[in-house]
Amino acid sequence: MPDQPGPKGLTHTAVMDWMTRFAATVRSVEPELTALDQKAGDGDFGANLVTGMDGVRRALDALAAGAGNGERDRRGPDAPLDAAARVFLDDVGGTSGPLFGLLFQELADALGMAADPPGTSALALGTAAGAAAIQRVGEAEVGDKTMVDALVPAARALASCEPTADPAHALHVAAVAAHRGARSTTDLRARRGRASYTGDHSRGVPDPGALAVALLFASAHAELTSLSRLPVS
Amino acid sequence: MPQYFRDSPESLVPDALAGFAAAHADLVAYNPDHGYFHTRHIAPARRVGLVSGGGSGHEPLHSGFLGTGMLDAACPGRIFASPHNRQIFEASRAVARADGVLHIVKNYTGDRINFGIAAERLAHEGIRCARVLIDDDLATDSDDIAVGRRGTGATLIVEKILGAAADEGRGLEDLVALGTDVTRRARSLAVAAAAHTTPQSGTPAFTLPDNVLEFGVGIHGERAEGTTPHAPLGKLIETMTDQLLAALPDSTGTRVLALVNGLGSITSLELYGIRHAVAKALDDRGVGLDRSLTGTFVSALDMRGFSLTLFATDAEALRLWDAPARTPAWPL
Repeated sequence: MPDQPGPKGLTHTAVMDWMTRFAATVRSVEPELTALDQKAGDGDFGANLVTGMDGVRRALDALAAGAGNGERDRRGPDAPLDAAARVFLDDVGGTSGPLFGLLFQELADALGMAADPPGTSALALGTAAGAAAIQRVGEAEVGDKTMVDALVPAARALASCEPTADPAHALHVAAVAAHRGARSTTDLRARRGRASYTGDHSRGVPDPGALAVALLFASAHAELTSLSRLPVS
Repeated sequence: MPQYFRDSPESLVPDALAGFAAAHADLVAYNPDHGYFHTRHIAPARRVGLVSGGGSGHEPLHSGFLGTGMLDAACPGRIFASPHNRQIFEASRAVARADGVLHIVKNYTGDRINFGIAAERLAHEGIRCARVLIDDDLATDSDDIAVGRRGTGATLIVEKILGAAADEGRGLEDLVALGTDVTRRARSLAVAAAAHTTPQSGTPAFTLPDNVLEFGVGIHGERAEGTTPHAPLGKLIETMTDQLLAALPDSTGTRVLALVNGLGSITSLELYGIRHAVAKALDDRGVGLDRSLTGTFVSALDMRGFSLTLFATDAEALRLWDAPARTPAWPL
């Protein structure tokens, strides 16, 4: 039903639930992410991500309770992403966490400027801007075994969708592309980021940052296709 | 086993920050919410805020050079660790002026990323921001090193010259061009007779045989490519001088500024002896020594060693170097 209006768009509630679902997901896979990072990194990525998303959950509770942040409409679809951006940029340690914050910040901007509710074109713009910001800062290219290996394919997949396509469909395409990109990091030797100091030890281990990017898009897709998003009439 | 004078390894940095803020309360202030120092006095003509920062353990860099004629804000990280992007972002926001803010960044991955994230956030808020990257360490000048040369002693020279230029009201692009050019014309080399003591363990970061120097050591206990015999000082300085001069652009007929910098636990007595040897080596090679600075400015905890930075001067750079500065640690 690609022309289904309203309920399938990225409404404020849908984005709130997306963030909540992502928080639950990363908590459930934290042991696996940590195990991967211990093999090919400094071992703190899983914990940083969970700590960050726990902070995001508290920020979402505050948002729901009426706390806004300045210029933004606290009921807008961008407000939950903006709250996540602030938590990840301000409070999360390491480097991957704050880089996630840049992705959230660009997604928030794109959704905030789009028609209500934002759709595929806003997702494509925000993801592309997030990937660009992360690449500017981290100076990583595809193939360096970082989160960029999942994020750039996701951005390309979204850009290849019709701007008016059902966002649930676009997120499916993005999640598949991100997951494929994350799996492709398994055979790579890290050249940038946390795993680059471990040399050949990083071979055979997928990059946990790239996996987390795939989970972010998978969470969004799962949320937009969940029962709670079906129109009730 | 050498031990630091401190209550605990964890108290080393926060206690020093508190002590520094109190000792220099007339010149600087500490923002405890966001973890940065800022100057209390700013030249009225300044249009660009100058922000630097980096791991602790390199004192008096960077906080010691806050004040008129030098930096507006400095962000200290934990020992040898980059400051968090939030410190840099908040410091930059606080000291940005009409033409924005300039980040003076030593070339280390963590610093590049955290200053980079802060720069993205500043752009997002509509604050102009640019960067000068310091990469003067000749020992890491190799095509095999993808991350490029490390940033070391030249940081002080860039902070001084850019500070003086900023006080004249120069704009952001102008300062970036000047800072980039100063970095291009400066190279450093460091040697150590003994590594620093790791604060957590109280053990040396590495050990050397007697009468052997680590040649090309970093300021975080990074080992060098090789060692050299603890030769007569004059011979060591000649070797360092030759390598540095060869690496400077247009070295023929160059006039230089020399920075003789202690890495932590070398004595002032030795540093001035080194200064004497440097002057002789330069004179023997027909290179004029326009200015020099001798002391401990960019340290590496208690490393027993020194770095030598040579900077190819010109009249404009000397004028800016000679301009007055009033900071906790600028000695001139």
